[in-house]
Amino acid sequence: MIEVVLLDTALEVDQFRLVPTILVAAMLTLFLGIGYFFRVAAVDELWVAGRSIGPVENGMAIGANWMSAASYLGVAALVATVGYFGLAYVVGWTTGYFLLLIFMAAQFRRFGKYTAPDFVGDRFYSSRARAIAAFTTLAIAFVYAIGQASGMGLMGRYIFGVSYEVGVILLMAVTIGYVVLSGMLGTTKNMAVQYIILIIAFTVGLYATGWSQGWTTVFPYLEAGPETAAAADIETQLVEPFAFTSYYGWIALAFSLIVGTCGLPHVLVRFYTVENERTARWSTVWGLFFICILYWGTAIYAVFGGILYDESSLVATGGEGEGFMHMSGEDADALVVLTTELAGLPEWLVGLVAAGAVAAALATTAGLFITASSAAAHDIYTNLYKPNATQREQMIVGRSTILAVGILVTLIGLNPPALIGELVAMAFAIAGCIFFPVFFLGLWWENTTREGAITGMLVGMFISFGAIINDTIYPMYIEGVDPANIEAADALIPTLAETVPGVSSALVGVPIVFAVIIGVSFVTEDPPEDVKRLVRQCHSPEPMDQMDSAEDVATDGGIEESSDD
Amino acid sequence: MSENNNQDFDEKQTDGGVATEAYLEKEINLFKPATPFMRDHLRIIWISFAAWVLVVFGPTTATWVAEEFMTETSILGGYPLHFFAGAIFTPLGALVLAAVYAWQRDRLDKKYNISHDPEAAEQAEASTATDGGESQ
Repeated sequence: MIEVVLLDTALEVDQFRLVPTILVAAMLTLFLGIGYFFRVAAVDELWVAGRSIGPVENGMAIGANWMSAASYLGVAALVATVGYFGLAYVVGWTTGYFLLLIFMAAQFRRFGKYTAPDFVGDRFYSSRARAIAAFTTLAIAFVYAIGQASGMGLMGRYIFGVSYEVGVILLMAVTIGYVVLSGMLGTTKNMAVQYIILIIAFTVGLYATGWSQGWTTVFPYLEAGPETAAAADIETQLVEPFAFTSYYGWIALAFSLIVGTCGLPHVLVRFYTVENERTARWSTVWGLFFICILYWGTAIYAVFGGILYDESSLVATGGEGEGFMHMSGEDADALVVLTTELAGLPEWLVGLVAAGAVAAALATTAGLFITASSAAAHDIYTNLYKPNATQREQMIVGRSTILAVGILVTLIGLNPPALIGELVAMAFAIAGCIFFPVFFLGLWWENTTREGAITGMLVGMFISFGAIINDTIYPMYIEGVDPANIEAADALIPTLAETVPGVSSALVGVPIVFAVIIGVSFVTEDPPEDVKRLVRQCHSPEPMDQMDSAEDVATDGGIEESSDD
Repeated sequence: MSENNNQDFDEKQTDGGVATEAYLEKEINLFKPATPFMRDHLRIIWISFAAWVLVVFGPTTATWVAEEFMTETSILGGYPLHFFAGAIFTPLGALVLAAVYAWQRDRLDKKYNISHDPEAAEQAEASTATDGGESQ
């Protein structure tokens, strides 16, 4: 367990709160109700919602899918504890969508399969490549979801007055039950609702804090300048640009999160659900807008929360303020909620902000579990193990996967190895190193070969997993260092922890993987003509029908029927 | 949409269409556009990509090069310039660039007479099922 150093005035956690509990219960009932109303029976609908979703709705789903506990709670925590370095998270988790938009969104929609491993398997005409991609998808969903479980536990403590562990178990159980019942169509409808709930909760908390303290009025994002200066007076490191990392470290993290954005299977699958390529493009723009609304508030929360935290410690100690950048990991990860509480806002409002965090964690976890279940049922079970699997069997495998991953995530989430934001960043580094190069080259260079892609993914795996083992898993599980106190010196190879950190290994990883893929592709035999035609067709501007995929248009018949048909 | 429909499309849509067919014969290369549309599209992509690189990595690089200027200039009543850039400006910049790109891409569609009208697409889909994809 992370060491709990709660100030007397920090988040009050050990009492049951009725109104916040009712809010969360109402929210979950609403989600389950919507999930039930839009429940699904067919595979097509479970995974890609019948390819029927419009741009604003899909934009909201992109937003809800994206804005997990890491965005809602984690980013403000990071800005408050590592200052300007934390802004690399803000930049990395917003601007990456632009690359996705210009290079990949519409092309992926044209490719039009079900999952990320589908793309890798078909584009690189190899079931081995597909297996690697399916494994990676599961690994990403797993690491990503641990951060969400951690956020759920923290919010469970505040709302229900239960222990962190009970909070994790309770809310993860609800998530698993919900995903198993509803599937993707219910989830997409839900995501729009989840987005609205979480953005209202987050924004209301921010505005109310600004008003109650007399800091801001209508547009806190542009008005919090004086407070930023005040927070910087308390903790100069907040605005000292390279206090917690070098210029290299900042760029490495932002880069890693950006390419991770373009390599995440559960983000990618959102483009499979839209009606056409134009919708894919505009829903990315809408999605980025909806995401920005929250991200613009994170640094302001950090500033507000920092000042209030310092003030409260001032009251508690009766003299010297303690600052805020050394607050405990749990306080930091709860900072958004803590801020509204320290501002003296009414309990129902604080509860609303906490409920929003639960919605954020739940929405993302649902999306991750869907992706994981399709990787297992569709890519591993059906395509590799039993090609003639019935729909019923696929559904059973998919649902058992959700259950298994859910239980595993809950177990690790009970004692998470890092802050929420850092855990999620690791998932991004994995996606960036392994998936981004094969996605990008697969779409833009038709001569990328099967051998190139497989070697590239294996090298990416080695780099990204190696980096995480080096500076997180080894110190925590082998050396037994408390996760809150892990430093570069504790790593297996300390030099590598500085240059290739687990949270941002992609700056080093991506160029290497690109070089490997290109190099191997040059010396191996060109891809077959039908695969090249598949790539070419992804770039044609001519609209395709709603249910078409690139394969349908590009083939002259004769290439293998994919088994979902 | 049931799976059977999907399978029907596999067989019926192989004629593709003039525009797509033109693409199927040409190599896709990020640096060597094969068709006029592709050339125009890649121009938009590269220009907006360059702008994006500036918006995303520019402020931090400026902070590294001219730390004093970036940290001691304060705007809007107290934000240090570099802090404001990372927290507010860069995400906004990426959003604006994204909207500009999508809008430019729509203009390109117009220039090349490409329609994404969902109703037309639905009709096409409906008729595909009965006329064997001729309406493509």
